[in-house]
Amino acid sequence: MLGWEFKETTPKQAIRVNAMNVKGSNVVERLESLGFKLKKIPFLENGYWIEESKFSAGATIEYLLGYYSIQEAAAQIPATLFSDLRGKRVLDACAAPGGKTVQLADLMQNTGFIVALDVNRLRLNALANQLERCRVKNTVVYRLDARKASKLGLKFDRILLDVPCSGNFATDKQWFERRTIDDVERNARLQREILAEAAKILEEDGELVYATCSLEPEENEFNIDWAVKKLKLKVAEIKCYGEEAPTKVFNKQLDNSIKNCRRIWPGETQGFFVCKLTKE
Amino acid sequence: MAERIKNFAKRFDAQISLDWGLVARKGNKFFYLHQNLKSLVEKNRRYYYAGLPLGKVKHGKFFPSFPLLFMTVEKAKNRIVVDDKAAWLFICGRDIFKEGVMQVEGSREKGSYTLIFNKHGECLGFGRIRQNLDRVKKGVAVENVLDIGDFLRREKHQRLNAAQF
Repeated sequence: MLGWEFKETTPKQAIRVNAMNVKGSNVVERLESLGFKLKKIPFLENGYWIEESKFSAGATIEYLLGYYSIQEAAAQIPATLFSDLRGKRVLDACAAPGGKTVQLADLMQNTGFIVALDVNRLRLNALANQLERCRVKNTVVYRLDARKASKLGLKFDRILLDVPCSGNFATDKQWFERRTIDDVERNARLQREILAEAAKILEEDGELVYATCSLEPEENEFNIDWAVKKLKLKVAEIKCYGEEAPTKVFNKQLDNSIKNCRRIWPGETQGFFVCKLTKE
Repeated sequence: MAERIKNFAKRFDAQISLDWGLVARKGNKFFYLHQNLKSLVEKNRRYYYAGLPLGKVKHGKFFPSFPLLFMTVEKAKNRIVVDDKAAWLFICGRDIFKEGVMQVEGSREKGSYTLIFNKHGECLGFGRIRQNLDRVKKGVAVENVLDIGDFLRREKHQRLNAAQF
């Protein structure tokens, strides 16, 4: 059952403290002294909601020094679902503009390496800018379509697929005017191609986290059901904010393990879907 | 490249020691590779960005990156600490007025390069002394050459470029 009360929401702006850069400096206290009112996000270790601010969170010295990143609360969840990232070979397959890449580097404490991919040159500039600002050392960026990631000739211990998606109508007021079911289906096909490529280059004991900010079952539960059946991936149990994903959608019965995925309904956060996959 | 980097550090009366085997060139850009990235980058040379950027050469001139600037911080002798207002104006691309200077270390001579710090001891960029700091009473003391506000200006530029598509 997917039904729930429809209401327009505006997710609160959130920041994530980059632990690797703030050693000895209390960035929260400093922001509060500048007039920011912050509230700890209960389900995230380094996340804070901005309740009130006199000016943009992207225009402080602390931001420019890479002490924190502006990152929506739900978007901070996927990187935290991996177990033990230190020293690992990590692929961020759809990386730009780089919020999650920086978060991965932070969780890895700049050990191991991250290969970050994206196709759009302008978005790659934004990604490079983030990496430089946050002083990330362990990342290499390639202009490469995630569907061709195996061309790199590498295998990965951890793969993050924050795939291109249709977004959702709770945060985009023109969503219904700008999207058709064909767009959703096209995105779902693209996402499956990315999933299939990622499954090829995931180590046998590796972990893959799949995330979208879409609420469409075609881009979420149906794709994961497909990955379980066709790619022989397994949906691992995760403990995170959000509700169990439904296993019956549009009268279609899905694999029971789909309940291990999490749906995050828009409210305090944007709408989001996330799950962790492993090889059988 | 090593010479350019060493010369840049010398501007602040600092010496820099890098593992030059980890410096990679990509077009006109230079990167300092994390040990784990070296073999990866050698295998797949068509990378866009890797490790820490050191700077780029344009029209024969070397433009340092912020990571390179931060690498020189510990050893640099030329440094100026400025007050909050001057720090804010500096990251907005403005020069530093004598009134905002709280502390000076190293060279005070006109033409010298100096790192600019806020009261938390954080490097915000660098500038060039415009008037001898012992003699100047008011007005511009240090000309802004590079400040961390550049990240914002780049983001704005990228947004404008994206909007044109």
